[in-house]
Amino acid sequence: MPDRPTDDTMPARLPDVPGATTPRSGRARDRTVHVGRRTVLGILGLTGVGIGAGAKLDSVVGPALTRVGSSLGGLGALLPGANGFRYYTITNSYPKLARDTYRLSVTGMVDHPLTLSLADLRSMPRTDLVHTFQCVTGWRVPDVHWQGVKLADVLARAGVQPGATALRFFSGDGAYTESLTLAQARLPDVLVADKMLAADVTTQHGGPVRMYIAPMYGYKSIKWLDRIVVTNRVVPGYWEDNGYPVDAWIGGTQP
Amino acid sequence: MTDLAVTESSPHTPAEAGGAPEDRSEVVRFDVNERVVHWTTAVLMLTLIFTGAVLYIPTLSLAIGNRGTVEQIHVICGIALLVPLVLGLAGPWRHLLVRDLRRVDRWGRSDFDWFRSRGRRKALERDKFNGGQKLEAAFLGAAMVATLVTGLIMRYAPSSWINWATGATLVHDTLFWAIVIAVGAHIVIALSRPDQLVSMMRGRISRVWAREHSAAWLDEIDGARTVRGR
Repeated sequence: MPDRPTDDTMPARLPDVPGATTPRSGRARDRTVHVGRRTVLGILGLTGVGIGAGAKLDSVVGPALTRVGSSLGGLGALLPGANGFRYYTITNSYPKLARDTYRLSVTGMVDHPLTLSLADLRSMPRTDLVHTFQCVTGWRVPDVHWQGVKLADVLARAGVQPGATALRFFSGDGAYTESLTLAQARLPDVLVADKMLAADVTTQHGGPVRMYIAPMYGYKSIKWLDRIVVTNRVVPGYWEDNGYPVDAWIGGTQP
Repeated sequence: MTDLAVTESSPHTPAEAGGAPEDRSEVVRFDVNERVVHWTTAVLMLTLIFTGAVLYIPTLSLAIGNRGTVEQIHVICGIALLVPLVLGLAGPWRHLLVRDLRRVDRWGRSDFDWFRSRGRRKALERDKFNGGQKLEAAFLGAAMVATLVTGLIMRYAPSSWINWATGATLVHDTLFWAIVIAVGAHIVIALSRPDQLVSMMRGRISRVWAREHSAAWLDEIDGARTVRGR
């Protein structure tokens, strides 16, 4: 690149000026290489490749990295691309709800308001799903084993009244809320989940009971599920108020 | 265009006086613009590293919580990250910064040699910055742009771009660790070299230091001043 005189007054351009005491730097500058901009362009190029090919790379290399990650124990979650869970909580801490006193209430526009214990949930028909947990920001955990009760079955037991069109979900943390339309709530892969990863849902993952809404981004799957209210309008939840889509179909449209 | 004699030489040691002992005199290493850009960027970067760690590392996520707030701080600081640098390059105050960026770009033989042998480093005819500093600056500059772009995709891309968001997350997470290493090394090295750390705070560095570590740069300043004073 040619020197631009307005910005560069380095003595490289002054070798023939009498009295300029810059022979050494002048000589060094004769053989300069643009390493800086090549470094920058190289990193930006790799970034572009990473954005474009990252999802493919993730599915190819991810399983191997996950194995490496799990051999590192807790540190494995820190490995980029190792497909570890990230733990979200929007309050100071997270609610530690006791399993034996846990109750899920279903109220609002229903014929029979429900108060379900864990035992009640487990006495209902069970559904198993193996499905990816996909965060809207891009991270994903493939092949997670979920188990619970179809939300549709819970709603049938409560008896949804005519005119109801939507559901509001409230978390035991007192802050996290979510929403679904009644049609979305009745999809067969929308679960009230009490088991994930082949074990009881841990407190960090939103246990004892959380939602798992397979066709939607992770923020819709509210954690520490406390209350479901059947209503006649969609009230956007916590993350929707923060700018994320209300209809959070993975990929943008309903599969 | 500011006068070089004003910009880079110390008022304590007018060259034409010639009487002041050299070990006391100082030269300007970073002007006000460069220092403001450096420290505002540093505050933003450290905030980003801390909030990023809270968003990323499970133990910290659970210990700190408040994800919505932490995310907002992270996103705002991320969007602001390049603003100081852009403003620093946007006005007539930019000249020293532009020339220093050019030094980061252009590598001479001493910059390559700097990596080859620790023992020979003292003998090199070094520019204002050594090869390690140049690599650090180029890497961090690129990493700032790359994390900004990938971060914007992660936060604001339409939900149909999910595969790109997955790629962006992979790049963003990888760069997180690289930046932590680069900034961590930068801070450790700066603390072990008080002369240079102070020069980023007060702007000046001793002529003795410059002669010992950046002889080629000192020659440049003096050469330019000789030309000016002619």
